[in-house]
Amino acid sequence: MGLKLLWTIQLAPLLAFLLIQLLPKSLKKIAPAIGVSGSLLAALAALKLFSLHLHQENLPQQFVYEWLKVAEPSATNPYQLVVGFLVDPLNLLMITLVTTISFFVQLFSVYYMNEDPSRPRYFGFLSFFSFSMTGLVLSSNLLQTFLFWELVGLTSYLLIGFWYSKPSAATAARKAFVINRLGDLGFYLGVILLFLYFGTLNFVDLKSETLQQTFSNPMLTIIGVLVFMGVMGKSAQFPFHNWLPDAMEGPTPVSALIHSATMVAAGVFLLSRAFGLFSASKTTLLVILIIGSLTAFVGAALATIQRDIKKILAYSTISQLGLMVMGIGAGSSIAGMFHLSTHAYFKSLLFLTAGAFIHRYHTNDIWEIGQKGGKKDLLAVTFLVVGLLSLCGLPPFAGFFSKDMILETLKERSLWFYGVAILVSFLTVYYSFRMLFVITRSKIKYEEHGSHHESGLLKLCRALPLIGLAAISAYVGALGTPFTGHKILHWLGGQVSPLNGGLLITTLVLIGGGAVVAFIQFRDPEKALTRLEAANNPVKTTLERKFFVDDAYAFVVKKIGLGLAWILNWFDRTVINGFMVNGTSYNILRLGRIASKVQNGLLQDYMSLAIGAGVLIVFYILHYGKTGF
Amino acid sequence: MTPAIFSQSLQTYLLVSTAMFSIGIFGLLARRNLVAILISLELILNSASINFLAFNKFSMPNKVAGQVFVVFIIALAAAEVCIALSLVLLLYRKKDSINIEEVKELKG
Repeated sequence: MGLKLLWTIQLAPLLAFLLIQLLPKSLKKIAPAIGVSGSLLAALAALKLFSLHLHQENLPQQFVYEWLKVAEPSATNPYQLVVGFLVDPLNLLMITLVTTISFFVQLFSVYYMNEDPSRPRYFGFLSFFSFSMTGLVLSSNLLQTFLFWELVGLTSYLLIGFWYSKPSAATAARKAFVINRLGDLGFYLGVILLFLYFGTLNFVDLKSETLQQTFSNPMLTIIGVLVFMGVMGKSAQFPFHNWLPDAMEGPTPVSALIHSATMVAAGVFLLSRAFGLFSASKTTLLVILIIGSLTAFVGAALATIQRDIKKILAYSTISQLGLMVMGIGAGSSIAGMFHLSTHAYFKSLLFLTAGAFIHRYHTNDIWEIGQKGGKKDLLAVTFLVVGLLSLCGLPPFAGFFSKDMILETLKERSLWFYGVAILVSFLTVYYSFRMLFVITRSKIKYEEHGSHHESGLLKLCRALPLIGLAAISAYVGALGTPFTGHKILHWLGGQVSPLNGGLLITTLVLIGGGAVVAFIQFRDPEKALTRLEAANNPVKTTLERKFFVDDAYAFVVKKIGLGLAWILNWFDRTVINGFMVNGTSYNILRLGRIASKVQNGLLQDYMSLAIGAGVLIVFYILHYGKTGF
Repeated sequence: MTPAIFSQSLQTYLLVSTAMFSIGIFGLLARRNLVAILISLELILNSASINFLAFNKFSMPNKVAGQVFVVFIIALAAAEVCIALSLVLLLYRKKDSINIEEVKELKG
């Protein structure tokens, strides 16, 4: 039963993708239906699997097939590569999350993309993404994970550049691809090293005790950090974070699915999945913690000045991913995973809400959305509020419990990092309320009635995903609350501490403080905008230049990269082309010219040559006659 | 060294033929007039003939191989001059000149 469900989850999206690709032109308009039903099938199978295993103890289960036998397996080094499925609570949680969000996003896309001529391509890619992502989540070993990891990277590239005729989208897609390659290079090296010295890549075998016996501590750190590089690329950790905001060039549902809920969370998932590998070395964990806190802070700080609703959410995603990574770096993979799952739901909810605004008002700017009457869209505003409150971590919304868990872990680990997390939480509240106030408190200047002629089915496709995600978000949050006995956390194998009163008060104070600060600044959005644009101080410059990360990249690329390119270009032009290729041809040409001078048509010159040659031959014969010829 | 003995040695013939050959080569290379070049060519051929006769006389006096060769050479030279002179005549008609330096159309 379990295996059949696994195959269904894995293959339903692939089948949908193939069907959409093979559809004849006349039938292309049913592509959305195929995409949605494929993801629905996967989601139902995942839910079934989830409920099957929720009360069972016989986890983890493995279904593996031998792929390659590299060397004769022995007890110590079973050099063997397998492919297969692994089922354990972590997987089940993630697969449920991925498939349900996929389904809702596909459904919402029916609404969002209903005017786009290349819808079949869109739904095909989206289905293919679901296939790759489920493959990544279900895989039983690091190499298989890596393969699907690359596939999700590819689909991410394809979907960011979905509107490829727009230069900014094409550039953003390229940027995402290149930066991800940087990280993945490290990941792959790590995998190779691990396989070379450890002999197996199966997650079930990656236990920190076993690893510590096999490897020296520096080696473990190197492998851990290399694999973590892949995580940094995919999960947009500092300094590889800058592709994510640009990735917002893709269609909004794509941002919701890939660039907030699932793919970027794959990094965090991998951190928990191979937690044994990372936790085997204290240094690796410290690196993870530091990178996580940098990311969390940078993301949150940059989110405070963006005007583009999707960019705010993108930076917010970066910051929240940083927070998850911090939680894992502090030693609690459960806290990270729990926050991942609540975040996935409320962030995809937020993105879909943003998509609802963008699709209706044709702008990404929160000021313009406000002025065009954003607050009249009651459904969207309601879910915006729900999502934002969840993001801020207001109890009893889902975000509260997961964020609290991370804060608690950090507090135990080190007060420094706890301070960073508190600061990040404050900034989160600030930019959330800023966005909310700007959208709802702007005076409506010009109302648009143009795109309200939506059919009943489209309205359903718009509302259902929002409602569904909000409901699931609440449910998942509730599973981790003290009121339900921390069900999900026990199941994941976490240790649960009772609700911390002090932390609750801290959170409430933070939210209150952030909200008040945001209210004071943005109670009148127009005035705030003019004031902000007039302002000129180092903080603003730093934020607007995105902490100079892009500048640093530009410097590296321009000075070092282009310098190297210049040298290579010089070498190619002068040595290879100039000296070797053109030089050879030029010299042969010159030799030919010299030889052709002999052929001047003058009979007597020819005769002189002939006679001279004859004389030489005679001389040679006379001189060397005895031995020569 | 009496004239009779002088005329009896191989060296004398060879010296004469060498002189003729050298004059012929010089004429061949230095003269610009095509007719003069042909004359020089005849000189060279004749020097070769003298060599044949001289060697024939001093190395195997009872045979006539050298003389036969010389007859051939004379016939060959006559034929050659015939063709060469007709070519020179054609050239003169075409170019109004028999200066070798003006005939250099054939070149690479």
